[in-house]
Amino acid sequence: MTNQKDKTDSFEKKMKTLSCEDQDKILEEFKKRIHQEFAAYLNTCAHCGLCADSCHYYLTSQEHENIPAYKLSLVTQIFKDTFDSFGRRFPLFFGAASLNKKKLREWIDVLFGRCSLCGRCTINCTMGINIPYLIRAARGALASAGLVPPGLQSTVDTAVDKGNNMGISKDDWLETIEWLEDELREETGDQNAELPVDQKGARLLYTINPREAMFFPLSISAVGKIFYAAQESWTFSSDNFDVTNYGLYSGDNSKAGLMSERLIKSLNHLQCSELILAECGHGFNSNRWEAPEWLKLNYQFEVKSILEVIWNYIQEGQIKLDSTKNPDPVTLHDPCNLVRLGGIIECQRDIIRNSVQNFIEMSPNREKNYCCGGGGGQLAMTRYAERRIKAGELKAQQIKETGAKIVATPCHNCIDQLMELNKHYQLGVEIKTVSEIVADAVVLE
Amino acid sequence: MPYIEVKDRKIEVNEEGFLVDPEKWNKEIAQALAQSQENIEELSADHWKVIDYIREYYLEKNLAPMVRKVCQNSGFKLKYIFQLFPSGPAKGACKVAGLPKPDGCV
Repeated sequence: MTNQKDKTDSFEKKMKTLSCEDQDKILEEFKKRIHQEFAAYLNTCAHCGLCADSCHYYLTSQEHENIPAYKLSLVTQIFKDTFDSFGRRFPLFFGAASLNKKKLREWIDVLFGRCSLCGRCTINCTMGINIPYLIRAARGALASAGLVPPGLQSTVDTAVDKGNNMGISKDDWLETIEWLEDELREETGDQNAELPVDQKGARLLYTINPREAMFFPLSISAVGKIFYAAQESWTFSSDNFDVTNYGLYSGDNSKAGLMSERLIKSLNHLQCSELILAECGHGFNSNRWEAPEWLKLNYQFEVKSILEVIWNYIQEGQIKLDSTKNPDPVTLHDPCNLVRLGGIIECQRDIIRNSVQNFIEMSPNREKNYCCGGGGGQLAMTRYAERRIKAGELKAQQIKETGAKIVATPCHNCIDQLMELNKHYQLGVEIKTVSEIVADAVVLE
Repeated sequence: MPYIEVKDRKIEVNEEGFLVDPEKWNKEIAQALAQSQENIEELSADHWKVIDYIREYYLEKNLAPMVRKVCQNSGFKLKYIFQLFPSGPAKGACKVAGLPKPDGCV
């Protein structure tokens, strides 16, 4: 662990000593990332301003820097300066600007510090501009010169260097599984109950978010119990178990690809047929949708969310649920990366309806849901923590209005943000994964 | 930078309430962090059992211990750790023990 002072100091130092070569590197990477689709987007914004009211940052703090069209304009300015000779010649008229140090500071503050890449602006954009994709491309350009805010960069570095984003050693991982296996045996009363590791030929390879093993293991126990009840053939990998991919947030495609590639290697090595992603929004988006593009490959196996697996168990009668075990009212938060950007929309609702007595939707929901404020790497970038909590105010209101006692959400990143919102806005709710709710209702025969 | 006050001294914390300089930690600072961050009026012997273990582990390995180790070392069940520190092991116990913020989804 590096203490924050060191991390912040080295970032500030990097900013101050930025060389012309660094600036060239950023522009070079930016040029590489722009292709026809992006060019079209950047020439399309009609400045209608409809996006303002779709963004949780702007809705909670009416600063012009929080308007998605403004955020996009920062990228457009550099695009016009780089690719458009009229823009370069008549910058004021064509809205071009050069990427000097002042502009770089603004890029960092706005593109990293005022956007959670949630994509809500896109579905409300009259022109359908994929704003988060363009912001991510600009983040990637900043990453090429080491200008990713500390916390986010160190999470990427830890994952690349240590194999998972919390730096958990193999021994610690294996010992934690053994500990949880003992608990599962106690709970099921079956001494043969297992949390299998490196079992070759198992049908499913299951992954986790490292924070589960490190600090919040109840969700691992929950999935273990559901697999046990369904008599599933599954395994963990002792080496590559991390579903997260903070390269999605830093914008660094090569590091992002490297992280996803490790899961594929383990799947092939263990001869499993399906890669099952834990309740992790950005991990789902990265590994299900982005990794084939990062790695330029077609998957020869299935990649699914654990929610799809559980939903299938319920459909096929492989697990039985007793909803009276969950009498308290439950609401559901939709993680942006899983729902709006990931396409997993209905199965979590059906699972919850089958597992609890009283399910209350928040409004708006599904793909129109507001971001909790924790995505886009915000949770890791301490310097923007105050903005993050403020941006979560809408989510806190949504939760309050449901009157629910429990908030379920299939994303550990969201869970952490919701825990903070719970404390800050005094919501008095309990936050759980969907698997934890299912595990409480599952009937062991 | 925000700060907490400990015996008229201002101790710097970051925007999330973690100590900026973990070497400055002492028991009075822990008590002040517990109060300002976790609403714990007075740290109990059970709190200290968890905090002291986390602190020692951190000083030795420059890492936060896995929650399994905290449970096994203290003899406490996981549920009880969450009762002691409502924000959980990372933003509760590790913060009070003066550790820097861990990487990852916390």
